[in-house]
Amino acid sequence: MIRVEHEDHIACVTLARPDQRNALTPGMLGALADAVRNAPSSGARALLLAGEGRVFCAGFDLTLCRESPNGSVMRDLLSGLSGAIRAMRGLDIPVVIACHGAAIAGGCALLGGADVVVADRGCKLGYPVVRLGVSPAVSAPFLRTAVGDGACRARLLETDLIDGERAHEIGLVHELVKTREDVLPRAMEVARALGTKPPWAIAATKRWCNELTPAGGAQRALEVSLSLTGGDEERALLEKVWGGNA
Amino acid sequence: MSELALLEIDGATATLTLNRPEARNALSIDLIGAIDARVAELERTDGVTVAVMTGAGRAFCAGMDLKAVLGDPEAPPRLLGSLARLALRIRALPQVVVAKVNGAAIGGGCGLTCVCDVSITHADSKMGFPEVDLGVCPAVVAPWLVRKIGAGRARHVLLTGGIVSGRHAHELGIVDRVVASRDELDTAGDELARRLAGGGARALAATKGLLNELDGSLDASVGERGATLSAEVLATPEARAMLTERFGC
Repeated sequence: MIRVEHEDHIACVTLARPDQRNALTPGMLGALADAVRNAPSSGARALLLAGEGRVFCAGFDLTLCRESPNGSVMRDLLSGLSGAIRAMRGLDIPVVIACHGAAIAGGCALLGGADVVVADRGCKLGYPVVRLGVSPAVSAPFLRTAVGDGACRARLLETDLIDGERAHEIGLVHELVKTREDVLPRAMEVARALGTKPPWAIAATKRWCNELTPAGGAQRALEVSLSLTGGDEERALLEKVWGGNA
Repeated sequence: MSELALLEIDGATATLTLNRPEARNALSIDLIGAIDARVAELERTDGVTVAVMTGAGRAFCAGMDLKAVLGDPEAPPRLLGSLARLALRIRALPQVVVAKVNGAAIGGGCGLTCVCDVSITHADSKMGFPEVDLGVCPAVVAPWLVRKIGAGRARHVLLTGGIVSGRHAHELGIVDRVVASRDELDTAGDELARRLAGGGARALAATKGLLNELDGSLDASVGERGATLSAEVLATPEARAMLTERFGC
């Protein structure tokens, strides 16, 4: 469900579960982190992360959590998400995300690992997870370095989604294109352009950016999200979702 | 030899002009020293509320004068360190500092505009950070861009490199104000300086001082570390080969 292809020194990593709107499983997140970490050794000079099908990513596959009342799947999802974002940030090559259609919850959190995000104007983005009793704290250290503290607070505490234009205004998206079909070609262009730049200068600049604004407290943030898993509130709210789907 | 940096004072407004037009005001050790001396004068001058920084000739500042220092391995760390210290000194001035970006502001030159408190340019000026394209690392200016536009946008701008129009730089937040053409810049710049100078000098200085505290502007160690990193990258054989080819020397 994670596809890795190499093209023109670009590692193209695709969330490939289109029938489930690329909903993330623990296995996908682990495979994503591995693909990210392995990209430089295969000669890639930039990494492009995209989603197959109608949207980039709808977030965690919550149906999996149904089978684990003690919250162990949710814990694996949260840890996997944190690991994947940290892997992208720690990479010495630039990461471009092609965010088309929608990036919801865990899908939106992945943007925290990107150096450049390309999205369409109508793309839906946000972290509407507190209504599920889930804390998006895990995303906070990355989101606040991307958009600043004010916008970060609003995005994580509010449950409504924003569109691509608003995401561009707050700095969550760096380049806007008109339609969702335009996203991948443009993101590929950006990745190719970044891939032609001197790798030593890119690596030094990316490391210095990380050092100047460290996504401090990534582990602590993960622990805050983990602390709620398997709790009564989360179980009660998730059951409502499943009840609605049934 | 004419002065490399000029300082004119007119009432509550001072104008500091980078005056090396034949080199597009590229930052040499001497030019940085001359600007530093003018900044020191401003520190000692009472009654000036606003200082406008601009460039003589067509460019605001073409960036670090790397061509001049490539031959001497000792020179780049000195040049980068002196720029880091100058930036800090400008930021610490009690006056509100306005960058009037009359033309190209590239690399270190664009970084200087971010050190200033407020900036204005025209739609067709050229601004940006093409360091990565030249195989070097914009480590001295990065902290100032982060403070100007935020960390996420700064990451995008610095890794993408290239040069953009004044209009686009305004959209990216690199510059605060943009007028339609070069012809309108002086009038708009004067108007901006006059309006700023209408504020209480002590209120402005206190506010600027607090903002400097909040965003860590006056932490000298960040600039020093940036200068060291940038010099390290510049000293690599890959970077030197690329610059030598570029400058044909």
